[in-house]
Amino acid sequence: MGWSSIFWTFLILLGVLVPLTQLGTKTRALQAIGIALLILGIAGGLVLAAVCLWTGLSISIRLPNVGYFPVSLAIDGLSALFLFLICSVALAVAVYSSSYIGRHYEAVEARWMWALMSPFVLSMALVVTASTGFAFLFGWELMTLVSAGLILVEGDAGDRIHNVYIYLLMMHLGAAAVAACFFLYWPSAPGLEFAAIRSSSAHLSLGVRNALILLAFLGFGTKAGIIPFHLWLPRAHPIAPSPVSALMSGVMLKTAIYGLVRFAFDFLGGGPAWWGYLLLAAGAVSGLLGILFALQESDWKRMLAYSSIENIGIICLGLGASLLFWSYRSPAWAALALVGSLLHSLNHAYFKSLLFLGAGAISDATHQLAQDELGGLQKRMQTTGVTILVGCCSIAGLPLLNGFVGEWLVFRSFIAGSGLSGAGAQVILPLFVGVLALIGGLSGACFAKAYGVSFLGRPRSQGAENAREVPWAMRAAMLALATVCVGIGVFAPVVLVPVSQIAGGLVGTLPPSSELQFFTVMPRMGAAILALVTASLAVRHRKRVAATWACGLPALTSRMQYTATAFTKPLRMVFVRVYKPDRKIEVLPEDLPYFPASVSYRSVRTTSFEKSFYRPIVERVVGLAHGLRLLQTGNVQVYLLYIFLTLVGLLVFLRFAR
Amino acid sequence: MSTALAILQALFLVLAAPLVRGAVGRLKARFQRRQGASVWRPYSDLIKLFQKEDLIPPTASWIFRSAPRIVFAVIVTAAAFLPVFQTTALAGHRGDFILFVYLLAIGRFFLMLGAMDGGSGFGGMGASREALVSTMAEGPLLLAFVAVSIVAHRPAIAGIVEWTVGQNFFDISAVHILAFTTLGIVSLAEAGRMPVDNPTTHLELTMIHEGMVLEYSGPSLALVEWANAIKLNVLLSLLIALFVPWGIATQLTWQALVLALGSYAVKLLLLAVLLAGIESVIAKLRMYLVPDFLGVATALSTLAVIFTMIAKR
Amino acid sequence: MEFAEVAAGKVVSTSAVFLMMTIVLLAVSRRVSTAILVFGLQSAIITAQVAGTAFLESSREAWVVAGLIFAFKVLGIPYAFFWLVQKLKTSRDVQAVTSPAQSVFLVVLMIFVSYAVVRSYAFGIRVPEDALAAAVALILTGAYLMVSRKKALIQMLGLLVLENGIFLAALTTTFGMPLIIEMGILFDVVIGLLLMGIFAFRIRDTFEHLDVSRLRKLRG
Repeated sequence: MGWSSIFWTFLILLGVLVPLTQLGTKTRALQAIGIALLILGIAGGLVLAAVCLWTGLSISIRLPNVGYFPVSLAIDGLSALFLFLICSVALAVAVYSSSYIGRHYEAVEARWMWALMSPFVLSMALVVTASTGFAFLFGWELMTLVSAGLILVEGDAGDRIHNVYIYLLMMHLGAAAVAACFFLYWPSAPGLEFAAIRSSSAHLSLGVRNALILLAFLGFGTKAGIIPFHLWLPRAHPIAPSPVSALMSGVMLKTAIYGLVRFAFDFLGGGPAWWGYLLLAAGAVSGLLGILFALQESDWKRMLAYSSIENIGIICLGLGASLLFWSYRSPAWAALALVGSLLHSLNHAYFKSLLFLGAGAISDATHQLAQDELGGLQKRMQTTGVTILVGCCSIAGLPLLNGFVGEWLVFRSFIAGSGLSGAGAQVILPLFVGVLALIGGLSGACFAKAYGVSFLGRPRSQGAENAREVPWAMRAAMLALATVCVGIGVFAPVVLVPVSQIAGGLVGTLPPSSELQFFTVMPRMGAAILALVTASLAVRHRKRVAATWACGLPALTSRMQYTATAFTKPLRMVFVRVYKPDRKIEVLPEDLPYFPASVSYRSVRTTSFEKSFYRPIVERVVGLAHGLRLLQTGNVQVYLLYIFLTLVGLLVFLRFAR
Repeated sequence: MSTALAILQALFLVLAAPLVRGAVGRLKARFQRRQGASVWRPYSDLIKLFQKEDLIPPTASWIFRSAPRIVFAVIVTAAAFLPVFQTTALAGHRGDFILFVYLLAIGRFFLMLGAMDGGSGFGGMGASREALVSTMAEGPLLLAFVAVSIVAHRPAIAGIVEWTVGQNFFDISAVHILAFTTLGIVSLAEAGRMPVDNPTTHLELTMIHEGMVLEYSGPSLALVEWANAIKLNVLLSLLIALFVPWGIATQLTWQALVLALGSYAVKLLLLAVLLAGIESVIAKLRMYLVPDFLGVATALSTLAVIFTMIAKR
Repeated sequence: MEFAEVAAGKVVSTSAVFLMMTIVLLAVSRRVSTAILVFGLQSAIITAQVAGTAFLESSREAWVVAGLIFAFKVLGIPYAFFWLVQKLKTSRDVQAVTSPAQSVFLVVLMIFVSYAVVRSYAFGIRVPEDALAAAVALILTGAYLMVSRKKALIQMLGLLVLENGIFLAALTTTFGMPLIIEMGILFDVVIGLLLMGIFAFRIRDTFEHLDVSRLRKLRG
């Protein structure tokens, strides 16, 4: 029908035409047309996804076989949701980049960025719409390679090559695990068509199912950034250009969640309770450690990268609760928890990409990303400030914005866990309310600090002082995302209805509709609060601008304000066991401590994981490799000896295997 | 009739808040063998402040003026969730206590932002300490709610009140004792009372809430102080509604309503005496001991949730 | 007297929760005087429990035991401890190995463990599981105090809390303990405390401190 042809157009535009216009010609006009085609293509994909999401339409197209593997794409409920996510964020990012890339990059670099961004979006769309294993793995690999390329467009100075290397390494480890997942189905579903996989899952033995979930957890967890597989995230996201970071953090992580949901819920159809506990534990650890590490960062992008880990943790909490409910034969609540996770994925995509685009705007205006060098930006960049404020409030989970919707659903499903009859889950699930509350409180503190220190008060550097508002294209993109955040927060039922259909389809029962009715209170509450605020602002009072009392000093300087590091100091002191900071204070000269000539303070904050978890593993692997080196003597006769010994061994084996 | 009463409830919580604050102040003074200011003093303070002018620092943005109003609007909305005289409130739905807690969080968030907009060190300091206290207090607050909700088998505040009214007072359950203690500790932290924060201090060493509102003047200051008083009133009324609601009107007759008003006033007075006593007897905690204090609350609330499974009563 | 019976029953059944709270308070207290006061409170609650049981079972022995506990543990021993604190003139800090927050969580864990342990057992022998779990929790807490606090005075207090727990366990399982056993235990504990008190003076006089961890220097 017409929709399939729109899908084909989308694929061809993004895959072939746009890169061609960027790399194939040198005329600026054609390149501009290419950018317009990209935006058009993504918009088309968005419309397609929206139609499939809200009307329940499903589309499938078939591409020619590659060797032995069939390749086909299909959009069902879950795919439509994630395609909608990808396309809406990509649209905003594309509009933003149309101005950002021109301002920050040379012509050659800009062309490469556009040429690579198009297949990046395409690869993510391929992953979520794939309906055979080959298409999925192809899209998966393409995502990794193209994003690495996008990071490298900015150059290979300093640490960048090292970070990209780690990124590629971990992504490929994850991809190997995902591929293993698919190939475990090979005996029962050759060709790896999703429909065949789904039907053959029922006949798999418990051991294979457990292996599958562990491999899926490993593979998709690495891509999603679940601790302890998260090492690449804070290295790769901050060094990418801001629009690319937005796409990576907002969208690429969600494809991993899509994969996990596809495997655990669609293919495997749930499992024993320990699957749920595994995801709950991983979610709690990722959420807590992610936000604690984000608290100690005062660079915008690194903070946002760690905060992504925290939100992935929250999503995993919801998925874990859902699996747990399903294993205890409570599918309605499982559906509710799943709705919470899926919705939080959607919401996180919106507010995280908004915040990353905002960080790009900050760096565009002030050439700084360190919060301790910013300040007073709200007065200089009104629109950007408001949109970033909306993003910060959303990520803190404040009501009337979209972050609260997913979190409320996860909270509600935890509380409902007290109705289960299994002794463990009955008390463990409600206790996770405390964990999620702590995570929410910490993220509120972190983003109040980020916004407050960067946008309020006095500017702390020349760059912040001279900040000017960014071009309209960037502002329009951020405003659009902010409006979506507010819209979903206030009018949640609009997205709740299709997502609950999807969850119901996966789990077998729709979530309890009385719970979903909760969000009908939001518009009235929002209107009441808005009315109260505008009424009190409108009342005419005398105002006067007067300088703050400076305790007798001539004036307050910007250095008298709290810095980001100072703001989080109390919290970092409470959680000092997590941070284990390395501090060194040096007072010179040493023999005259009361008459110092210089005092130096050095503090190294690493994430304790690298020291205590990864280093031993790395050392063990290297040790093993060293051990194996003994086999490599360089002597030809020793190698001939190896062949001879293998031959003898085979003969002996054949003799005794009869 | 029921809706009118619900609106009246919310208005009562908002308008009676300065009186509660005045009463606590007067009781504290009496404990310290002073005369104390009149219980109506906070009202005259508010009226005086509303007539003064608003001073705005030159570096402040629109957040500085809007923050007090947002805080006030949010706490008034939160007051609409509490049953005071009847067992239903103006707003209420399954799972609304989560919304209640997060409405308080909106207020805190914007108060912190407003403080940092002042551009002085006091604001940042107050905001940073408030971030510490509120982060550690949110967990026990929600867990206590969850524990009480599980025991009552009702997921909404109004439902919990209804269930509790139907219980026998002498059937005290362990969960309720633990949850009451937890909510008491968290209320002290959230309302900025001793031993977490001194509401009458002006020494920067001891400031948390005062630090955040130091730069405000005139109507902005009036709204912030009023919002703080409403918060205290709301938290005390929450304690009454969840744990000792007997006397509340289950039918809408005049006698029942008068009884409800009377019993509520008595209970509020008792809680005010208890609060004044605690503030007079216990010294303010050093700031880095506050997480330990709230850690006790967390442990008690965890116990409360565990007890819901063990001691089903 | 029905009201009195109901009240007595309520006291017996809710005292377990109040004992749990005193356990948490003990874990969190940083000063010796606070710990002694909490111990006194704990003993008072146990006295109330014994009195309630005495009223319900109408046993004269139990009334005597309640009186004895009140005299010794609520009045006598805390007074003796305060006298010791004054005489020894040591610092007021409890010198805990773990921070209060960690202690609180460990104590909550112990309460959970004691409930889990008692659950299966109590149903079989028809005893109120709250009181028995509180008793086991007291025993564990007493042991924990002795292990995690470096000040000798608090170790003595831990021993007393342990004895409280044993007594409570006996009370709940026998519905009013025979007087003679209680006398025996109490006598044991008093002698033990006397000896420890004497030793505390000796240690303090010889080494000028009461920090038991520094006794390690005595080994060869």
